[in-house]
Amino acid sequence: MIDFKAQKARAELYRNIRSFFSDRNYLEVFTPSLSPSLIPEPTIKVFSTLFKNEFVGEKEFYLIPSPEIFMKEMIASGSGSIFQISSCFRNSEQLGDVHNPEFTMLEYYTMGFSDKDSISLTHEMIKETAISSPQWLKNDPLVITMEEAMKEYAGVDLIKAQDYGYLKSEAERLNLYVPDKESWEDTFNRIFLTYVEPSLPIDREVYLCDYPSQIECLAKNYPDRPYKKRWEMYIKGIEIANCYDEERDKDKILSYYKREQEILETERRETGDAISKADFSFANLEMPQCSGGAIGLDRLLLVEYGGEEIAPILSFPMCGMLKKK
Amino acid sequence: MIKAGQIEKGTALLIKGQPFLCIEREFVNPGKGSAFVRLKLKSPATGQTLSETMKSQDNAEDITIEDRTFQYLYNDGENFAFMNVENYEQIEVPMKSFEGYEYIMKDGETYRLTLWEDQVLDIQVPSKVVYVVTETEDAARGDTVQGVTKDAVLETGLKIRVPGFIKQGEKVRVNTETREYLERVND
Repeated sequence: MIDFKAQKARAELYRNIRSFFSDRNYLEVFTPSLSPSLIPEPTIKVFSTLFKNEFVGEKEFYLIPSPEIFMKEMIASGSGSIFQISSCFRNSEQLGDVHNPEFTMLEYYTMGFSDKDSISLTHEMIKETAISSPQWLKNDPLVITMEEAMKEYAGVDLIKAQDYGYLKSEAERLNLYVPDKESWEDTFNRIFLTYVEPSLPIDREVYLCDYPSQIECLAKNYPDRPYKKRWEMYIKGIEIANCYDEERDKDKILSYYKREQEILETERRETGDAISKADFSFANLEMPQCSGGAIGLDRLLLVEYGGEEIAPILSFPMCGMLKKK
Repeated sequence: MIKAGQIEKGTALLIKGQPFLCIEREFVNPGKGSAFVRLKLKSPATGQTLSETMKSQDNAEDITIEDRTFQYLYNDGENFAFMNVENYEQIEVPMKSFEGYEYIMKDGETYRLTLWEDQVLDIQVPSKVVYVVTETEDAARGDTVQGVTKDAVLETGLKIRVPGFIKQGEKVRVNTETREYLERVND
C-alpha cells in the first residue's frame, strides 16, 4: 500500500527546503548519479555497473554514495553556495528501520562558513521547513562536544584516551570486549556505540561536535586539539546529518586519498566487493573556505512525519522489492 | 564460531562461559566507521540482560540449543523434577532458576524445555493457560456486577484476582506472564 499522505509530506518538505536555500541565494545544482571515480571511503560499499558502447568500449561506473565529488568541483569552479537534493546509493546497507540502499540526500555548502556556523543554519532550516511541529522541534537544540559526551555518558577522558592503552583499558572497564590489534577508531566506536550514542537526548536536535581526528575524513583538524571540525546531528536517537569545515590543504587531501584508497583496495580484495577508482586530481581543486552539510532526507521526513521505520514512507523500499519473485 | 554480523534474534551465544539468547539485534554504521551490531542478550537461566556492541567481523561463540518435551512430575521445594517423554529419563531443575514456576506448571503436564548440553535454559510455559479455581468465596449478592473482583486460589496454588461471578470449581484462562485473569472458560 502506498502512503500518499507521506508522498505529499515529502513533496512539501522538498518545496520548503528549496525555498529556504533559494531565498538565501544558494544555487540549486544537479549532478550525475553515475561517476567513474569516487572519494575513497573504505567503510562505504558501492554499486558498480558497466558502461558499454561498441564504438567507445567499456568503462566501469559507480552509483554515487554522495554527490560530494561533483559538488566540490562546482565549488572550486566558483559556484558560490550551493545545494542539491539527490538520490544516493550504498551497497550492503541493512534493510528496514532507518536504512535503505537507495536514499535521498540534501547536501549543502556555504561559502565562508565554518562547521560551527552551519549549526545555526541547519537548525534554522529544519525549523523553517518542517512539515509538522513535533515536540523535539519545540525544545532548544543541544550542542555538545564528543569530549563532553564521552565524559558524561561513558566516563571516559578523551584527551587521556589519545593513548591507545588507556582507551583499551577504559573499554574493558566498561565490560566491552576488545580484540588484540584493534584500531583506535574501532575501540572508540565500541564505547561510543554502546554508551554514548544510545544516551543522547531524544527530545531535541543534538549536535555532537569535534569528532576524534583518528576518524579520517575530509574535515579540517583543530590546530591545538586532537579533533576534527566535524559534527553529526541526531534527532530521536537517529543520525540525521553530518557536517564539516571542509579541508582545503591540497597535500592533506592527497594524502587522505592515497591512504584511504589503499585501505579500501586491501579490504575489498579480501571481501570481493567492488573496488571503486579514485581520481587523485581531486586533490588539486582550489577549495575556498566553506562548510558542507549532508542530511538524510528520508530520515528527516521520518522524524517529522512520525513512525518507527523508514520503509512505510518510502513507497518502494528495497526490503519489499527483495520479497517479490 | 560465527561472525557477529550473522547473529540473529534467537541465536544462542556463549558469553564468558554463560549461555545467552539474542533478543534484539540492530545494525549500526557510525558515520565514517566500520559496521557494528548492537545486541541485547538475555540469559535464559538467570533472566539477566546484557547489551553488547560488536564489529560485524568479530567472532562470536554460538552454541547449539535444543527443545525437548518433558513431563513435569513434582517439586520437592528445591528442585523441579521432570521426565523426558522420549526416553523416560528424569532430570532435576533448581527452583531458584525459575522462580514462581511452581504456581504456573501443572503436575503431569508436558512442557518444552530448552537445553544446552545438560543445562535447562528455559521452561516454555504457554502464555495463556486454563486452570481450575479450587478456592474462592461466593460473591455477595450484588457483587457480581462488572469491575468487582475477589481473591481466588487455582489448582497450582496460584493466587489471583477474579471477577465476582467466578465460582469454585470453574475454569479460568490466565496470562502466565502477568499472572492475571483473562476470561472464564466453559467446557
